[in-house]
Amino acid sequence: MVLGASARREWRLLRSRPWDWALITWVPLLACLLLWWIFSAGLPRALPIGLVDNDHSALSRQLTRFLQATPGLSLNGRYDNMAQAEAALRRADIYAVLAIPSDFTRNIKEGRQAQVTLFHNAQLGTHSGLIQRDVRTAVGTLSAGIEMAARNKRGEPSQTVRVAMEPLRADLITLFNTALNYEQFLAAALIPALLHILAMTAGAWGVGRELRDATLGEWLGAHPTASQTMAALLGKLFWPWCTLSLVGTAMLLWLTWGRGWQPQGSLAWTLVALWVFVALSISMGAVASGVTRSLRTALSATGFVTAPAFAFSGVAFPIVSMPLAAQWWAKALPYTHYIRVQIEQLQMGAPLRYSVTAPMVMAAVCMVTLLVTGITLKRAAVQPNTWGKR
Amino acid sequence: MQRFFAAWRDTLLAVGRDAGVLLLLVAAPVLYAFFYPWPYAAQAVTRVPVAVVDQDHTSLSRQIIRFASANPRIDVRWVTGDVRQAQEAVWRGDIEGFVILPADLKRNAVRGTSAVVSVEGNGSYALLNKAVLYGFAEAVGTVSAGIEIKRLRASGQSQSQATAARNPVAALLVPMFNPTEGYGSYVVPAVALLIVQQTLLMGVALLVGTWVEQGTARAPPAQWLGRLAAFATLGLASGLFYTGWVFFWQDYPRGANPGASVLLLVLYACAVAPLGALLGLWFKDRERAMQVLLLTALPMAFLSGFSWPVEALDAPLQALRWCIPSTAAIQASLRLNEMGAPWQAVGWHMAVLGAVAVLATTATVLLARVRLPAASVRR
Repeated sequence: MVLGASARREWRLLRSRPWDWALITWVPLLACLLLWWIFSAGLPRALPIGLVDNDHSALSRQLTRFLQATPGLSLNGRYDNMAQAEAALRRADIYAVLAIPSDFTRNIKEGRQAQVTLFHNAQLGTHSGLIQRDVRTAVGTLSAGIEMAARNKRGEPSQTVRVAMEPLRADLITLFNTALNYEQFLAAALIPALLHILAMTAGAWGVGRELRDATLGEWLGAHPTASQTMAALLGKLFWPWCTLSLVGTAMLLWLTWGRGWQPQGSLAWTLVALWVFVALSISMGAVASGVTRSLRTALSATGFVTAPAFAFSGVAFPIVSMPLAAQWWAKALPYTHYIRVQIEQLQMGAPLRYSVTAPMVMAAVCMVTLLVTGITLKRAAVQPNTWGKR
Repeated sequence: MQRFFAAWRDTLLAVGRDAGVLLLLVAAPVLYAFFYPWPYAAQAVTRVPVAVVDQDHTSLSRQIIRFASANPRIDVRWVTGDVRQAQEAVWRGDIEGFVILPADLKRNAVRGTSAVVSVEGNGSYALLNKAVLYGFAEAVGTVSAGIEIKRLRASGQSQSQATAARNPVAALLVPMFNPTEGYGSYVVPAVALLIVQQTLLMGVALLVGTWVEQGTARAPPAQWLGRLAAFATLGLASGLFYTGWVFFWQDYPRGANPGASVLLLVLYACAVAPLGALLGLWFKDRERAMQVLLLTALPMAFLSGFSWPVEALDAPLQALRWCIPSTAAIQASLRLNEMGAPWQAVGWHMAVLGAVAVLATTATVLLARVRLPAASVRR
């Protein structure tokens, strides 16, 4: 059996090459755990902000207390004037500063609208987004309290006041990821992105190293048939496919069951998709080595395709907002399709029929890619003068 | 000194002769400068496809639909009476959210009982969700405010009094440093520094690994300093290419403190170049560095603190992140180029990079003096 012989040979080689072994076993596991650890807090808390209170009134102190009571914020600096506060913003000691003007209380007492200003560091998008939301809520609470008190003073019964204040209320519901939990949102998306890089690297390395070391003949034999080449290829790629998929499976199980997250959709189908996705990634690396016959070029291609895959996937920045040609590139990348399936099943709780097609297409593409790799290797096997390219 | 400059020149020539190294040290930074900002060209998330579930069919619900259609954040694709249809469209990815205008909406609003519309956004995609929720909330809020102000004016208040009465305290949000809140302006200036680091690390380790294989890595200190200076020169060039040209070309916030930012890049290149050399000396293999380093960019990006707040990191990670030069460089570069901080504000970052530079250079020079097992690639 060529397949078994190739797999046994690959196993022996892996066990005798610590780096090659590490990069498909404990390094992927540690790297995935590191990514999870980074986002394990779920939601950042205590983001430092500053305050410039020129009003020094009961109302401004009340607003200060609201801010202090917000877990997402940490009122770290109080500044006498805006110049000091701006300097602290520029040093990024604080990510935002709230300015309360000196006529704040007077405006409210005299029935005019009072205004506070939040200067936030928009260069740090996540930070400033979270801070804006929390400060808006705190100011809204203060504003609603003042309005309700004013209406009560005018003698409107408090029951109707709440309705009169907001004749139409928009109830904002975030479907699927209700707490906007970054552990579920980013860690769950980045771990497959990392496995994508590792798997394509492993495919490129496994095949490319035989070419670099000019051991292709030793691996495939002098004049391999097409089926022998394919069997030898599958035997070689079997190990990284198993180990990397197992790492991915363990991580997804940890993120869901292990962390008390019960996804609405099918975790089992997501895992099927993951194994197919890892297989496709490995075959992409293999074909890059087979076509270029150069390990180094195949690794460069791996970096070009997989490293920015997350940026193009639509998870962080939506695909609909990209230029048209970039959308095509995004849709040509397998990670885009895998992560859509994972999000549909683990986050959106979509019925299975929405997620059936993508893994099957990926499996078909994987087979074609492996076939192309086999053809290139069969050709390369009889051209020893092309081996050893660096 | 002569040996230093000879080594500097020879190394640059060696880079030019080696297609693999040239690709990593020169072509890759240029290529990524076009490739990486590409998806973010539009900078903002606008016209997100949404639907309206109208079960009220009144002048009020039509008014809300009109305001929603006029909102630049969202693009109302269709109006339906069926929630199920909207839900399925979200699963298919045709729309990213919808608003439900329930039956009796107008009746409740006119009678003064509570009238609630639900806005549902796809929380799996943070930016799309935000656009959907804010887009609809703004439309509903405008209609709601109109009703309330009309009522307050009917009770005898002036327009401005009515506005003040319905919202006594307004919060004005002013974005600093990235005034348009562009997504590319936020991500690319930080990632650029990571690209500089990764390409330099891989390129240097590739060439040094090749030298070890060929048995030419061993050299006296002056020669090694010349080699490292040549690598740092290329790293500095790609850093200047990004901060000096790409940021201008893409019209990102930039150039707020050019003097200090050049100094930062010099320190950064001097820190990363010897780290790449150490990796090459350790791997003793031409291709190994690429295999090992490709996976590191993702965790490094999220440890650097530009997109994921460091306040959310556990203490050991807080320490770990400073062991990576890109952390100090990204933090300092954002402060200098985008936020316009004085150089004193990045003293710590520069000190970290300086320390890495001194330690890694010393280690490289010392290691490369002892006999290196030549051509030790395990075949």
